[in-house]
Amino acid sequence: MGDGITRAHGLGGASDLPISPSLAIAGAVAALIISFGVLVLAWRTPRYAAATSGRPAPVWLAQLVDSRGFRISLRVAGFVVFLYAAMVAILGGDLETNPFFGLFYVWWWIGLVPLSLLFGPVWKAISPVRTINTVFARLSGSDPDRGVFDYPERLGYWPAAVGLFAFVWLELVYPFQTDLGPVRLWAAAYVAVMLLGGALFGSTFYARADPFEVYSSLVAKLSVWGRRGELLVVRSPLANLDTTVVRPGLVAVVAVLFGSTAFDSFRSSQPWVKLIQSSNVSGNLLNNLALLGFCVGVGLIFAVGCMLTGVGSERRRTELPNLLAHSVVPIVAGYVVAHYLTYLFEVGQRTLIQVSDPFGNGQDLFGTGDWQVNYWLSYHPTTLANIKVAAVVIGHVVAVVAAHDRAISLLPTKHQVVGQLSLLVAMICFTAGGLYLLFAA
Amino acid sequence: MRPPRPSARRSMPIGVVLAVILTLSTGCGEDEPETGSEETEIIEVTFEDGAVTPNGERVEVGVDQPIELVVTADEAGEIHVHADPEQELPYGPGTTTLKLSLREPGVVEVESHELELVIVALQVS
Repeated sequence: MGDGITRAHGLGGASDLPISPSLAIAGAVAALIISFGVLVLAWRTPRYAAATSGRPAPVWLAQLVDSRGFRISLRVAGFVVFLYAAMVAILGGDLETNPFFGLFYVWWWIGLVPLSLLFGPVWKAISPVRTINTVFARLSGSDPDRGVFDYPERLGYWPAAVGLFAFVWLELVYPFQTDLGPVRLWAAAYVAVMLLGGALFGSTFYARADPFEVYSSLVAKLSVWGRRGELLVVRSPLANLDTTVVRPGLVAVVAVLFGSTAFDSFRSSQPWVKLIQSSNVSGNLLNNLALLGFCVGVGLIFAVGCMLTGVGSERRRTELPNLLAHSVVPIVAGYVVAHYLTYLFEVGQRTLIQVSDPFGNGQDLFGTGDWQVNYWLSYHPTTLANIKVAAVVIGHVVAVVAAHDRAISLLPTKHQVVGQLSLLVAMICFTAGGLYLLFAA
Repeated sequence: MRPPRPSARRSMPIGVVLAVILTLSTGCGEDEPETGSEETEIIEVTFEDGAVTPNGERVEVGVDQPIELVVTADEAGEIHVHADPEQELPYGPGTTTLKLSLREPGVVEVESHELELVIVALQVS
C-alpha cells in the first residue's frame, strides 16, 4: 500500500477558483424567479406521457443502433478498456501516474455523465459485467436476462444507492484513495458482486443494482434518446425524464449523488478544513459523518418537501418522494457539470497521456505520451464561472418543470399549486446551497 | 390516459425564458487573470511539537507572483504543493526559505507531508 502515508488529496492539482459572490447571488435569484414563474405560468394538465411522447428516430439511425454489429462493437470497445484497466490495476505500479486511477475516478465515474447526457444509457451498452454475464449465459445455453431467482421488487434501486455511496466514500473520505491496493480491491469487489448478482437475478440486476448503470441510465433520461417499446425515439429531455421508472430507493440514489457532490465542494472549504484540523476528534471520522450527513440531509429535505402537501384519498403521502425523485436528476447533472468540469477536462487529459505508458517505464503505446495538458478552462476563470452557474441554473429549471408536470398529475386539483410550494423550497435550497458551495470552495 | 399533446411548439416559451435568464444571470467580465504583482508574498510557517501554523488559511496570490515560504521547524520535513505537477519541497531544522510561483489560476493546497495537514490554500488569480 504505497509508503503507507495518507495521500488524502485525490487526483489532480489545483481546484477551481471560487465563483464571485455577485454571480452566485444572480444564479440563486434566477433560480428563485424561475421556480415561481413556472409554478404560476406553466400548464395545468400533465404534458408528458411515456406512451406517446417523442418522434421516431431516422430509420437508418435506428437500424444502425439496433444492429447486432453495432451493439457488439460497443461491447468489444468497453471490454478492451476494461481489460486495459484490469491490466494496469494488477501489473502496474503503485504510483499516482498509474493510469488506473484516472480511468477509475475520472473517465469512468465522471466521464459517464457527459457521455450519457449526449448518447443515452452508455454504461448499459458497454458494461463489461453485462458482457461477461451475456457470454456466460450464451456458453451455458441460458437466457442472460433471467437468473436463478426473480429480482425482488422491493429492493428496487436500493443496492445501487448503497453501491454509489461505497464509491463516493472511497473517492471522498477514504484516506488511501490513491493507493493502488484498496482501489483495486474496490473494483474487484464491484466486478464480483455484479457477476454474482447477474448469475442470481439475470440482467435485471444490472438495471437496478449496478451503481454505474443506474447513474448512467438516470442521466441518460436527460438526453434526447429514448425508447417507446422497442422503437428508438427522439424526445425533449423533459419528456424523456418523465419516463424514468419509479422503484423503491430512487430518492436514495439521487440523494447520494447530489449529497456527495455537495460534500466534495464543502470538504475543501476553508471553515471545514480549519475545523477538522484543529479538532481533537479524528478528521477522518468527521469527514465520514459529514458525507453521510450530506446524503441523508438531501434525502430528508427532499422527502419532507414532497410530503408537505395535501393529498387525495387515493394516494399515500409517503409515496410522493419516489414519484417525484426523477426531478432531482437535472439538479444532480447541473451540479456535477459545475463541480467536475475542470477536473474532467484536465485530469481526463492527463489520464489520456498516462495510458500511453501503462507501467511507467517510458513506453508510448498510443502516441499520446508526449501530449501536454491544455489548461484553457483554468486560464479563463470568468468563462468557467459563467458555465458553472449556467449549468446549475439550467439544471434547476429542468428540475422545476419536471416536478411541476409530475405534481399536477399526482396532486388533487385543489392542492396542485400550493402543494408544490414546499418542494420548490427544497429545490431552491439545493440550488442556492450548491451555488453557495461553489462560492465558498 | 393522458391525451397526446404537441410538444415542440409548447416548449418554445421555456427556451426563450431560459435564454433570457441565463443572459441575465451569467455576468460578462474580464476573462484574463490579472498578471501577478512582482512583490514577493511571504508566508511564515512554523512547525513545533508536531503542530503547524498557519492552519488552513486562504492566501490570495497572483499568477506567477513570487512566493516565499519561510519555514521555521524543530525537525526536517517536506511540504507538498498540490499544483500540477505536484511540487515537493524539503526543509531542514531551523529556518529554511522555500521559493515557488504558480502558473495556473486556481486554488492550490500547500500541505505538510508529515502531519497530513493543509498549511495554507493559495488562491491564485
